[in-house]
Amino acid sequence: MLIQESRTYKLAKAALLAVLLAVTPLTGYLHAQATKPAAAEKQEDPLSVLFKSAEKALEEKKYKDSLALFEELDTKAVDVEPKLKAVVSFRKAICQFFIKDWPRAETELTAFLDKFPKGTEDFFDNDNRRGTAELLLIEAFSKQGKWDLALARLEKIRTNTLARPEDRVNAFTLSAQIIVDRNKSAPEEAKKAAYSQAIGLLKQATADGISTPERREAAYKLVEMYTKLGLTKEASQLKNEIDAKSNGSPVEIVRSNFQRLEIGDARFAAAESAADETFRGDFYRQALTNYQGTLRRANLASSFGRAIESKQTEADALAKNFPKPNPEQAANIERVKQEVAQFKKIQDEFNANKDYDAFISYRIGLCLLELKRPWEAHVAFLDIFENSPAFSRISGAYYYHIVSLRRIGRNNEAQAKCKEFIQKFPKDDQVSAIALILGEISQEREEFPEAITHYKWVQANVKNLTPEVAEEIDFRIAACLFSQVDWALAQKAFDEFLKKYPTSPVRQQVLYMNALSLFFQGKYKETKLSFDKYEQEYPKGQFIPDVRYRQAIVKFGISPPDIPGTIKLCEDWLKDFSKDRSDEVIAQTPEVYTLIADANIRLADEIDKRVKAADLDVRINAKSPDKAKFVEIRTKVEKEKEVVTNKAIDGYEAAAKSARTNPQALEFALGELRKLLPGRGEHKRMRDLFKEIFDWNHNDPKAMTYLYEVIRSTERMGDMPEFAAEAEKVRKKFSDQLAAARKAVDTLERKQGVTQPEIDLAKASVRKLSTELEVELAKVEAKRQVSIADQKKRALKILSDAVAESINDRTQEGTEKLIVFLAEKLARKVKRVKPGAKPEPGAYTNADAEKELTKLLRLEENRASLVAQARGFFALGQLAIFTREPDKTAANFAKIAQNFKAEELNPTILAMVGDSLIAKGNHQKAAEYFGYILEHSRSSEYADYGFSGMAEINFAQKKYKEALSFCNEAIDNNILMSKELDLRFTRARSLAELSKYAEAKKEFEEIAKTKEWRGEKTAASLYWLGLMAERQATDEKGYNEAIAYYRRCYMTWKKYEVWAAKSYFASAKLFATKLNQKDAAKVLLKEMLEKDRIKDTREAQEAKAFLLGL
Amino acid sequence: MRLSFLLPAFALFAAASAPAQTFVFKGERWEINDPFKMDSSIPPKPVVDPKKGTINVIKGTIDRTSNQGGIEVTLTRKLSEVTEVIWPTPARLKEAQANVNRGEPAKALDNVEAVLKFFEPIKNVPGSWWVKASIVKLDALDRLENDAATAAFLDSLEKEEAAKLPEVATQIQLARLMQRARKGDHDAVVAESTELLTKVDSNELQARLHIVKGNSLFASKKYEAAMTTYLRVPVFFGSETEFIPKALLGAARCFRGMDSPALREQKLESISNRYLYDIIVSFPVSREAEEAKRMLPKEERAKAEADQKKIAAGGPLPEGVIMAKPKLAAEEGVEANK
Repeated sequence: MLIQESRTYKLAKAALLAVLLAVTPLTGYLHAQATKPAAAEKQEDPLSVLFKSAEKALEEKKYKDSLALFEELDTKAVDVEPKLKAVVSFRKAICQFFIKDWPRAETELTAFLDKFPKGTEDFFDNDNRRGTAELLLIEAFSKQGKWDLALARLEKIRTNTLARPEDRVNAFTLSAQIIVDRNKSAPEEAKKAAYSQAIGLLKQATADGISTPERREAAYKLVEMYTKLGLTKEASQLKNEIDAKSNGSPVEIVRSNFQRLEIGDARFAAAESAADETFRGDFYRQALTNYQGTLRRANLASSFGRAIESKQTEADALAKNFPKPNPEQAANIERVKQEVAQFKKIQDEFNANKDYDAFISYRIGLCLLELKRPWEAHVAFLDIFENSPAFSRISGAYYYHIVSLRRIGRNNEAQAKCKEFIQKFPKDDQVSAIALILGEISQEREEFPEAITHYKWVQANVKNLTPEVAEEIDFRIAACLFSQVDWALAQKAFDEFLKKYPTSPVRQQVLYMNALSLFFQGKYKETKLSFDKYEQEYPKGQFIPDVRYRQAIVKFGISPPDIPGTIKLCEDWLKDFSKDRSDEVIAQTPEVYTLIADANIRLADEIDKRVKAADLDVRINAKSPDKAKFVEIRTKVEKEKEVVTNKAIDGYEAAAKSARTNPQALEFALGELRKLLPGRGEHKRMRDLFKEIFDWNHNDPKAMTYLYEVIRSTERMGDMPEFAAEAEKVRKKFSDQLAAARKAVDTLERKQGVTQPEIDLAKASVRKLSTELEVELAKVEAKRQVSIADQKKRALKILSDAVAESINDRTQEGTEKLIVFLAEKLARKVKRVKPGAKPEPGAYTNADAEKELTKLLRLEENRASLVAQARGFFALGQLAIFTREPDKTAANFAKIAQNFKAEELNPTILAMVGDSLIAKGNHQKAAEYFGYILEHSRSSEYADYGFSGMAEINFAQKKYKEALSFCNEAIDNNILMSKELDLRFTRARSLAELSKYAEAKKEFEEIAKTKEWRGEKTAASLYWLGLMAERQATDEKGYNEAIAYYRRCYMTWKKYEVWAAKSYFASAKLFATKLNQKDAAKVLLKEMLEKDRIKDTREAQEAKAFLLGL
Repeated sequence: MRLSFLLPAFALFAAASAPAQTFVFKGERWEINDPFKMDSSIPPKPVVDPKKGTINVIKGTIDRTSNQGGIEVTLTRKLSEVTEVIWPTPARLKEAQANVNRGEPAKALDNVEAVLKFFEPIKNVPGSWWVKASIVKLDALDRLENDAATAAFLDSLEKEEAAKLPEVATQIQLARLMQRARKGDHDAVVAESTELLTKVDSNELQARLHIVKGNSLFASKKYEAAMTTYLRVPVFFGSETEFIPKALLGAARCFRGMDSPALREQKLESISNRYLYDIIVSFPVSREAEEAKRMLPKEERAKAEADQKKIAAGGPLPEGVIMAKPKLAAEEGVEANK
């Protein structure tokens, strides 16, 4: 049989082979004579005996024996009918065919076809076997590579309108296969042409439908050709058509299934080689669909079971119905039995293939990984570990599962999987790659000690590391030491590495890092030598920019520092790399500027020493004639210092402005500028710089800090140095006049004979001058205040702009922080008055702050925005917090609750308002808000509000189990940012209410003893400890224990009147009702009721009534 | 060279694909009027072809008019004589299934009851749709979460011959399992569904059981286990389109449950939203899509809805979206009418 199954189930092929070459059970006898035997009991003809023996041998697959017998028969059966001679000839050919003696099979089949135009006539059935012989001959040709002969024969059949339709269909199919086989080793183009030609033939074979086995066979082939040519759509359509017409036999099920896998594989391969991303995705999707469409083991096994059962029933029924079958019935029974055996064989073969399901999962996993669905891929690979741990490709499954885990961010699990793999499969080929991943994960997470431990573990445990991986691990260990700033160890490791692997592909990097290790140890001499070596070996190396920068630092770091040399190297660096836009150079630029600035600061420090000396000279020579000379020297040196200081500031500023991708350099430069600029009154420069940096990214975590500097500098800009100078000038101007006037008064007073009016006149003159001074100074101050107010206004405008920019964007959580900042600023402007007192006329009041806040938030402009309006109420609520108006806060938050759905708000507002709602008892709305946080914002910094709120609400509704569940979930998952205490307290209370006293006690005691939590919850915990002791008490000792807790509460925590009152009252009740100490109870109650804080509590009212009853 | 052993299968196939509604009796076949096919009159009446058999449920017979030698003769056969039913999937059963999928259990019940009533007298005859309709009814009752009605139906179904069929037995077991899940007996549901998963072989049941198990794990706040259970449905049973949106929704909820500030880097909220997006885009007409829209933040909801419209108009699939391929119609037909 020509038709090959590529790597599909060979039994599918076997089934079809069986059809073509089945040793059809005989329905007649081979007689030596043309006449039939007179009676059955008559002794059998020796030729018939011989024929039967030959047939039996053939049936038993003893082809050589059979051939010998048929040849003997051929020699002996001389005087027989032509059709019987034809039968013998055909059988001989069949034997030769099975023996795979292709030349003889060819000869025999050619002889049969030439000598017997009627073939075996009606000997077997209505099939004269010529068709079969033709096809076998073609296959014999093919096996010998006689393609053209085979094709010529096939063409004859195809074009012979008298040939049986099935034979013609088979001829088309075989022609297609031969054309493909002939081009197996041909170039790709020729192969494709062959596939196209084959498709043309197979289309003809299937033109009239696929309702016969032969046509379906052709269709299967056509699917295969389509798949090979990448015509997936056509392949899938035809495949579906074949499946729809499936007769449900195991052969077809298996074949169909494997064909689906093949289409999937073809698509997968196409995806792997696709250059276009879009196509690639489509191909992977198509592959995935095919893999998912394949039946799983259980399903197939079940199909087999059903088919075998049904076939067996059929066989049993036939055997039962025909206990003495006629030849036709016997043949039928035999056929059904053969089918049962065939199905069972398929089932056995399938059962032996233990990897079947795992392979499907594996392929699905790969597709999903490629389709960027790592979670699904994770599930697919998990399936292999759970259900097919003995999978032959388990190492691959591990590898890709580890990849999936890394993609979903589960690095710990990925590492555990790596270790598991290494331990389970120490000799696997993948072990080196996986070993590397193990440490690489820690290294990427900057957990260097762990990474080193992992790498060393690999070195110790993995015995078959490839040399490349062993080298890489050595390098990685040194790199980890380097990264964890163990410079000496790192340098040692790099030194050893260079000795061990002198020609390593990472030599350049190692040389560089080795020099850096020296550099960071401050060994500048050695550093220089190392960097020189690097520059010598790699003059155009990838680390040259950094090496040159470090060389400059070395010059700066040596003692005494070579400042001009440093600056020169830096300036050369900037010149040489100014056009280099690589990430490394861009990130390094601010560091170079910083070095220039540092060098200039060092110069300024040096000059400062000279300034001090010059200043000393000026003082020493204050009265000497050379004073002017010394002053001149001092002025000159001061100017010199000013020049270098300005250069330093310019350097830091340039560093800051170029440090967008280098946060460390940015922070350093900004830190230096914070020290230098404000002291020099350069607020505008500060403001402009920070504004520029703030505008880089308003969502940067540090954006708030930058904005704060912008606001502060802007405010400071109002207090310009000019005002101080002007005031000073005024003071100076008046100081001489005042001194003269006072002197005049003093002189007059001392002088004899001066009248009082004269003195008074002089004094009046002093007062007048003083008043004039005050007026002048007030004018300057007024101008200053106007300027300050103006700048403050500007600052608020900047803040307002920042808020307004994101006020409509619900997802910008930073906006709430800005709002709080703004509210705080405005609250500070409010002039506080005592409760009940009226503010001074014209003073900035709470109402003014509210109005200004509304204006600054530009709420009018954002009337259509729900979140902006909600933020408006939130801002007013926050303002009221700062102005200490809790009712206003609650009222504003209540407006949010009334007007906004949870989905219109963000976690910050939901959390704050939710808390306020709980405090006001609006549990339903609060639950909506907290529920939304739990559903949508579990990773936000307000997630704990959600858990705490829901727990509180459930606890209040006496749903203790649910409350406990919320608390446990938050605590177990460490979702405890600002609500840990509340969550632990509610957990403890829920446990108490669920009578889990031991656990509750542990929780309450933990709260009570934690210093950081000292406060109301401490008091409450003591009360609850008492309450639990009381609930469990059965005797005096128990009640006393409860009283002891209550006492601790009311003695220590009087300021929390609710808990103190509860404790007082509970103690008194125990004294009176359980311990028979009514007097003690009375004393205690009187003491309780005397407390100012307590007497208005609900417990106090109850206590009064209780006291009366005692 | 013909494969003679395939002939019975061809005959079976031919029967299965026969377009007309047919009852097979010993020795003959009658085409039957489809009681679900209505004319355009108001109110609509069933289309009756007198040459085809018409079922008289009260008498338990089928009547047909035959012209024999120019004389019209009415032939009658008992329903109990039917040996095989050859009937394409009734439209109302299809509609009932669609109702279930769309989350309209009451409408589903209305449709399925008609099918059940029609096939009631021939419920155990091969090819009858009664069993399938019963399963759809179970599904609808399950969706209605009416435990009393479900329990009553289950009790009666269990007494039927069909209950012995492995598929029906499993469905009954599954329905009982769902009832227990609703009662909050989640540990038992997880244990039992895990065991059942090793026994059932059909993709549909596998998918359904995974959903049940996932739901119970989710209710027990075992989000991780629930997530992997739910995701097995789109990963391994991608053609079971009915269950994909349920599984995706379950997985989306699990990701939200798994989320915490410590896992912020894993962006589980976004992953969850991605699944919700997938539901809206890939299964726009489903109850789960409505729920997904509710769960998605409104900005992303708007995007998902816009993308869905684009895809529906033939636009390209956004990256990462894996549209589930529906089950092959032919497979469905062959399976259902066995």
